[in-house]
Amino acid sequence: MTNLSETMSVVRVETGPPPNDHRGSWIPSGAMIAKRFMELRRRRGLMIALAVVTIGIPAIFLIVRLLAHAFAPKSYGPAGGYDIFTSLVSGVLYIFGFIVAAALGCTAGSIDLQEGVFRHLVVTGRSRVATYFARIPAGLAIVVAFVAIGYGVVCLVCSVAAPTVLNYDGVNVPAGLSQPGLDAWASSHADKVICDFNFRLGPPGPSPSFASVIQNVPCNNGPSGRQIKIGPPGSQSSATQPTKSEIRAAAVTIARLDYSDYSKQFLSPSTSLMIRTGLWLELEAAIGFIVGLGLGSLTGQRTISVILMIVLEVILTPIFLRAHIPHMINLQRSIVGVATDHLGPSAIPIAGGGGQSDQANLISETRAWAAVVVAAWLVGWTALGAWRMASRDT
Amino acid sequence: MSTMTRDDAHQAAESEWAVETHGLTKRFGPNVAVNNVELRVPRGCAFGYLGPNGAGKTTLIRVLLGLTHANSGTMSLLGYDVPKHRDLALARVGAIVDEPRFHTHLTGRQNLELFAAHREPAAKDRIGPALERVGMTQRANDKVSKYSMGMRQRLGVATCLLGDPELLILDEPMNGLDPAGMHDMRDMISALVAEGRTVMLSSHLLDEVERTCDAVAIVDHGSVIRQGSIAELLSGASVVLQVECSDNEKANAVLGTRNLRVQVTTGPSGLDITLPAGAGRDLIAEVARILVDNGIDLYRLQPVQTSLESWFLEVTSRLGESQ
Repeated sequence: MTNLSETMSVVRVETGPPPNDHRGSWIPSGAMIAKRFMELRRRRGLMIALAVVTIGIPAIFLIVRLLAHAFAPKSYGPAGGYDIFTSLVSGVLYIFGFIVAAALGCTAGSIDLQEGVFRHLVVTGRSRVATYFARIPAGLAIVVAFVAIGYGVVCLVCSVAAPTVLNYDGVNVPAGLSQPGLDAWASSHADKVICDFNFRLGPPGPSPSFASVIQNVPCNNGPSGRQIKIGPPGSQSSATQPTKSEIRAAAVTIARLDYSDYSKQFLSPSTSLMIRTGLWLELEAAIGFIVGLGLGSLTGQRTISVILMIVLEVILTPIFLRAHIPHMINLQRSIVGVATDHLGPSAIPIAGGGGQSDQANLISETRAWAAVVVAAWLVGWTALGAWRMASRDT
Repeated sequence: MSTMTRDDAHQAAESEWAVETHGLTKRFGPNVAVNNVELRVPRGCAFGYLGPNGAGKTTLIRVLLGLTHANSGTMSLLGYDVPKHRDLALARVGAIVDEPRFHTHLTGRQNLELFAAHREPAAKDRIGPALERVGMTQRANDKVSKYSMGMRQRLGVATCLLGDPELLILDEPMNGLDPAGMHDMRDMISALVAEGRTVMLSSHLLDEVERTCDAVAIVDHGSVIRQGSIAELLSGASVVLQVECSDNEKANAVLGTRNLRVQVTTGPSGLDITLPAGAGRDLIAEVARILVDNGIDLYRLQPVQTSLESWFLEVTSRLGESQ
């Protein structure tokens, strides 16, 4: 071959040595993170979806309740309060926060490939792994902010618009009473306690005198279907009618039986609970984003990845939470949704476990094991996504 | 990542070749897309990598840039071994592969900011000049979704310029451009080369390559079959004499009796006399003398140098025959 450099008059541009910018390092620069944040933030459709789900749905729900209570306070209870807080957290923010975070993660993990931009980033010489890692803080900044705003709205309304009286088993009871306080209140409202409070007697069962009182109190609206049935009014002879002191004593007994349950009822969520719940929601959203990012990078397909993430959260996790399969129990506990549910505050019903009545039937898992599972999922999917991005032919 | 110091690597990079490959091979299953390629692209020139569709042009570029891995062989960019010193090599390389693609929901400027963030901090300061150079300053704040193909090509070149590159690798840069756009692209490439940068472009548009490039490599079925400066390559090609004379048949007969090793064909506008490769001006004079001495009046005698396109077809068709 002809030596072209000898035959051609060549002028060489002087650009100096390559810049010392640690281009081969796995650690992304601040500029990379900032521009990736910008790229994600400007995806209007995705941002609208995030805002609607994390902020819009809770906000609309609370606004409707505020308006309903303002116009018909006797028919509609206060907009906020403890029960509304726990319902919104477990029923909306937890599940939908995860799904939209996963959607953002899947987008961040796959969109450069799908839009053909990935190869142009690679030819800058920048480490592919650094390119992947830049997406984590950029995406988390968006997810965390949206969840924080939505959750902040929920906390605000649930605290400010909380009921002033605790409704316990349909009876208005002062909130926050100590056990002696509840005993005293029960003594002075014995008829309501005996007729309306739910209670469950443990072994060896009711004492004869207590059972006699309960059975002979003339409740007009007695607790049907409960452990102790009250006879129809007027059916008792005056000979079996309990005295007032016996009725008070029975009411106090019921109040003591119910105290552990009563003590978990609040007018509004405490600051401590709100902080712990907020951190838990952010953790769940972060898991959704990071796992989605890894899956998106692995498949290179946004739509498929999002569908898989929804299936995981909405179908697989509830199944694995409920089904008790002896030989697969540890596998069930290794599902990230199951583990995350067990890391939540105990006051919040497990989100994937259905209603309160189902909570006792869910599989058990220690918090330590749950934390290990969550960490393994985060590290594993990050490693998998980064590896795929580093090894992918494009 | 590189293990030698940057200064050591820079010293090692004082190679005369912008691109150098030895025995480079890339297979996709049983298909050999790049077959034992020996390529040397000198610095400071426009180098065309020519071949028909499916010849392996883009695959070679992808291998050079680390977008896919070679099965065997060695390569270097600007003297840096790749992939060993890929980060150092690509720091001064700008490239468009296949076609320039961008995030269409971002503006042109925002896309450049994203790419600049992956380069050194100084790249951010080059965004404005790069946009100005490709004539995109006025449209820089429009979303890329509103850009024409030509504008995207220009933005792609601007992306390449963010790294102040010594070497630009452009894959089919004329694709989708109208004549004015092709003219602008040609001028831009010439200006970049005049600054001392090396431009390696792949193309199947032979005419454009002939106008733009100083040297070429011809690739077919994954192999480089010829490479060198265009002038040198064409000097080895045949020359055609277009002749208008008073008696075509007599001229054909007269030339046929002489041992000139020429091929004579009769066309609508006269005779086409194909001279053997490497024939000098003496042979042209000899042909004229023979015709005149035999009483044939000459009205026009014009030597026509074989174009790169004709030569390319000649070379690749010979290759096809041999296979």
